[in-house]
Amino acid sequence: MESVLSDLAEDRVTGALRLDEAGTVYLTDGRVTYAESPAVPRLEDLLTADDRIPAQAVRQARQAATEDRPGGERLVGQGVLTRGELEFCVLSAVLDAAYFLSGSAAHHRGFRPGDRHWLGPQWYFDVAGLSRECERRRAQLDRAWPSGELDTLPVVPLARIPAQRVVLTSLQWEVLVAADSTATPAELAHRLGRPAYSVLLAVRRLAAAGLLRVPEAGGRPGAAPAGTGTPAPAPQTPPAPQTSQTSQTPSAPPALPRRPKTTGEPRAGGEPREGAAGSAASARWLPAATGDPADVNLLIRLRNALEALT
Amino acid sequence: MLGIEDCVTEAMAIPGALDALLIDQTSGMAVAVGGGRDEDVDESAAALSETLRAAMDGLALNSPGGTIRINDMIVTADNGHHLLRPMETAFDGPLVIYVRLDPERSNLALARHRLRSISGRLVTT
Repeated sequence: MESVLSDLAEDRVTGALRLDEAGTVYLTDGRVTYAESPAVPRLEDLLTADDRIPAQAVRQARQAATEDRPGGERLVGQGVLTRGELEFCVLSAVLDAAYFLSGSAAHHRGFRPGDRHWLGPQWYFDVAGLSRECERRRAQLDRAWPSGELDTLPVVPLARIPAQRVVLTSLQWEVLVAADSTATPAELAHRLGRPAYSVLLAVRRLAAAGLLRVPEAGGRPGAAPAGTGTPAPAPQTPPAPQTSQTSQTPSAPPALPRRPKTTGEPRAGGEPREGAAGSAASARWLPAATGDPADVNLLIRLRNALEALT
Repeated sequence: MLGIEDCVTEAMAIPGALDALLIDQTSGMAVAVGGGRDEDVDESAAALSETLRAAMDGLALNSPGGTIRINDMIVTADNGHHLLRPMETAFDGPLVIYVRLDPERSNLALARHRLRSISGRLVTT
């Protein structure tokens, strides 16, 4: 993509470069003035995310935009936002889209000369500067947490964290509040109306802080038996009281309430069985149910009672 | 009402200003540069973002309730007075305006007042 853009920049063209599925890059006199990608929230969504800027005003500016008076001038003229805010919003949106476009292996699908974005040019990027900033952002992500595996997986905050106290940025807070264990970072970005790169960085920093479930390379096969194993004792508990209470000592009842508690917790917590902090977490659930001497005693009494029946 | 470049130009017009930078705190990117410096701007921007982040984290832990909202941050050092002012925007950010002042030629109170005025005209929140 960069070589195509460099060629267009050299020719000082104005128009839109379409990339298959991935998006569009707009140039004005050989400099990039806008970029969009379905992987990132649209500028309209960024602008109107917090309700300060009415979606109606943005829609109207878009419809009324002409070549002489582009939508951006109209928005600033109406006092919907300041020039600096508009410039910064365009800057964020373009760099966000450029980051994901530069990472994708998209082929260009032709150049439409003269095509302009409705906002009009608000900020000019040279192609070299744009790719330098994308590189810098990539390096920054890797410094935060050197693995891309979380970038496309649902964000799952740990139900319990291995710390007493946590400091979050406001964006990290938004990510955690919106995370429903099914939405990926890109989906969260669309939902929150925040740049996808910013959300990605927040997610990687949350992971580095140990607040998110991280898939383990070899952890899944190991964690699965633990997961299927824990619910198993639960159905067995209801019959147990009936047989033991009728025949046995009062020491049995205090032992019983413990079991639903320990087996109930992993289910209430949601995910830990799929191996959060991995073997440590699943190991904490398993032996708690089986290693208790009261449980062992109960099982022995149960076996004895069953043997007596036959 | 200011644009991004005007904002840095105005910051450089503060008496005693040596450098000015506008930084996107989230990505640590230099958005605009004043004072004619070109080298290591990205590094400065990233480092200043970290400085502000560390101050926010530390002060949040030290505050009742554990939250903090910094209006501006002043560090006086051998090589000048460093002023940082985060500005909330509607979309991303915060956007941080930074200016370094010559201790011999500047007035901290005036500089702080001017930064506040610049940020008030750059963002409308």
